[in-house]
Amino acid sequence: MQANGCSQHNGTTEPFESHSLRNPPSTSNGEVTTNGNMVGQNNRNLSRTDQDIVRLIGQHLRGLGFNQTAEQLIAESGCALEHPTAARFRAHVMEGEWEKTEEDLRELEALVKGGKGDVIKMKFLLLEQKYLELLEDGIPLKALECLRHELTPLKYNTERVHVLSTYMMCSSAAELRESSHWEGKGAASRQKLIENLQEFLPPSIMLPPRRLFTLLSQAVEQQKEKCPYHNTQLDSDLSSISLLMDHICTKEQFPNVTTQVLDHQDEVWHCQFSPDGSRLATGSKDNKLIIWEVDTLHFEVKNPRTLDEHKFGVGFVTWCPDNIHILVCGPDETNEVFIYNAVTGDVRQRIHQNTDDSLTYAAWMPDGRKLVVGGVRGQFYYCDIDGNVIDTWEGIRIQGLAALDDKVALAADTHNRIRGYNFDTLQDFPIIQEDHPIMTFVIDDKKELILVNVASQGCHLWDLKDKVLLRKFHGQTQAFFTIYSCFGGLNQDYVASGSEDHKVFIWHKRRETPVAVLEGHRMTVNCVHWNPTEPSMLASASDDATVRIWGPKDKLEKRRKGRVTLCAKFNKGTVTLCARFNKGTVTLCAKFNKGTVILCARFNKGTVIL
Amino acid sequence: MGRIFLQHIGGSRLFTCGNCNIALTNRAELISTRFTGATGRAFLFNKVVNLHYSEVQDRVMLTGRHMVRDVSCKSCNSKLGWIYEFATEDNQRYKEGRVILERALVHEVDGMDEPIVNDS
Repeated sequence: MQANGCSQHNGTTEPFESHSLRNPPSTSNGEVTTNGNMVGQNNRNLSRTDQDIVRLIGQHLRGLGFNQTAEQLIAESGCALEHPTAARFRAHVMEGEWEKTEEDLRELEALVKGGKGDVIKMKFLLLEQKYLELLEDGIPLKALECLRHELTPLKYNTERVHVLSTYMMCSSAAELRESSHWEGKGAASRQKLIENLQEFLPPSIMLPPRRLFTLLSQAVEQQKEKCPYHNTQLDSDLSSISLLMDHICTKEQFPNVTTQVLDHQDEVWHCQFSPDGSRLATGSKDNKLIIWEVDTLHFEVKNPRTLDEHKFGVGFVTWCPDNIHILVCGPDETNEVFIYNAVTGDVRQRIHQNTDDSLTYAAWMPDGRKLVVGGVRGQFYYCDIDGNVIDTWEGIRIQGLAALDDKVALAADTHNRIRGYNFDTLQDFPIIQEDHPIMTFVIDDKKELILVNVASQGCHLWDLKDKVLLRKFHGQTQAFFTIYSCFGGLNQDYVASGSEDHKVFIWHKRRETPVAVLEGHRMTVNCVHWNPTEPSMLASASDDATVRIWGPKDKLEKRRKGRVTLCAKFNKGTVTLCARFNKGTVTLCAKFNKGTVILCARFNKGTVIL
Repeated sequence: MGRIFLQHIGGSRLFTCGNCNIALTNRAELISTRFTGATGRAFLFNKVVNLHYSEVQDRVMLTGRHMVRDVSCKSCNSKLGWIYEFATEDNQRYKEGRVILERALVHEVDGMDEPIVNDS
């Protein structure tokens, strides 16, 4: 977006017709006698806004090369696009008539925002272009003359003059363009020059370049910001959307249907996608950690691999930033944590200090080699991936951990607060204070926001830097069980949380009421995690022993299309219909026999006869 | 049943559930040791966490009529005592919102000294 730097922009600029150069400002309302060829009769009937719009349209038409239409528009409306001198100035620049531009510049001098100083800057830009063009044309003598007698006497930006003089040594035009990063003589570089020159003139004299386009881009940007379901990457140019109506994403494009149900044998307590989005880890009460592969192309989670070397229920898992290692914590009385290599399935490390420790939370430092581990009985270790304890912090009962950088960890404690702990300086500092116990918390990728699940209060969003509460998200319930929430979606614009009412809640970061409530689980949803690289995929873990993968409706249809095969067989009065859906097969068989129809359905191996 | 969220009240002397050892309260919350429950000696506490509460019951005690809820451990559900919701007699009103834990059903164990940090 282009900010309009004009200081007097706020309603004080007058239409230039009444602010002519050669005549003092006329007091009579719009009655201007000079430049009669540019000022038409209709001018008086048009409001300022209308005049501006006409000028924007005219500029756009010119940009498209519809010069005749633009002239017609100017003639009919009586609004000149630009001040006549400015228009002449532009034309002269585009034609490369450098002597004439100086003349124009002298006329425009009174209108230049910054006065004399800016005129010199403008002159400098013009002469720079002139000099480079002369060089390219292979007239070094004239170029030298320009450098000596025109550029240097300006006594402006001597450094640049020195740089310019070195271009004299270039042997070819190509080399000149290469070393000066200049586009070469022609319309493109002159257009750029005009855009640079324009900044010195108020917009009422000379329109900012591509003004209509800039305005429309701003409008689209604002529509995107207002769109509640905006979750797909759109290009920053306008070509990807229609300007004919307001941009709005439909709910169908947002993850709101279950695309897959993954089975566990017991309550699923935690789930997390790897940072590169290629794997999903789900952990359940029956000591099982399952690593799934994520196929984002087909929107499918597949190839489960169970890891169960640890002998405790999986209460919390966290992926190492290297996307290979994964750490597993257990319920309250667990005194060790396991680190697996998720690729090979081997145990990388067991971290164990004392038998009466409780190690229930952990966080990887961004380097992926060090981590913090802690629990409610007061353990707080800073150790490396090989289990060597580098440092410990005494006297803090940990209720949740996160890493800010390689040296600083954030920890929630039993006093309803989150504090920062610097392992370099061994100093701790306050961050937030809640009135109720903090169950879990996460920080976003930019390390700017903290999302806290507060017992019996819901999800609270805090600003990490300013340490203020930004939002209290409505709808979700939690009090009895440990519920995990997450950031996710495009630019991490959304937050999602599990809930004790069997639902998954999704909010936009800027709004407190949910944008989507996903129903499907039959028991408490303990944890929700958003795929970090696929903004439309999220996973939820529930007590109903399943993990649900959520996505937009069209992804589900795409998956089905690719999976269902139908075949029919006709054989002596028997019709066999067979549908394959993923791995289960349904066979429907109808027999026509002496007026009797026998319908028989086979589902995998069990048979139902209708 | 999800992963039950357990609070921790902290303190240097802790009272824990006699069955599953989760922390319930600490000595700083203790108001009186001169109460009697179904199993004998019982303690009155100002604040106890990690409890599961039953429906309100109308009970006539030695000190008069009270509305109480039985409390049990949030983690293992074993019975621990009761909480006073409402006392009909004015001189018993101080017990409202306070919790009785029966001595025989809880353990007293060592906690740890937590550094006192004043953030404000």
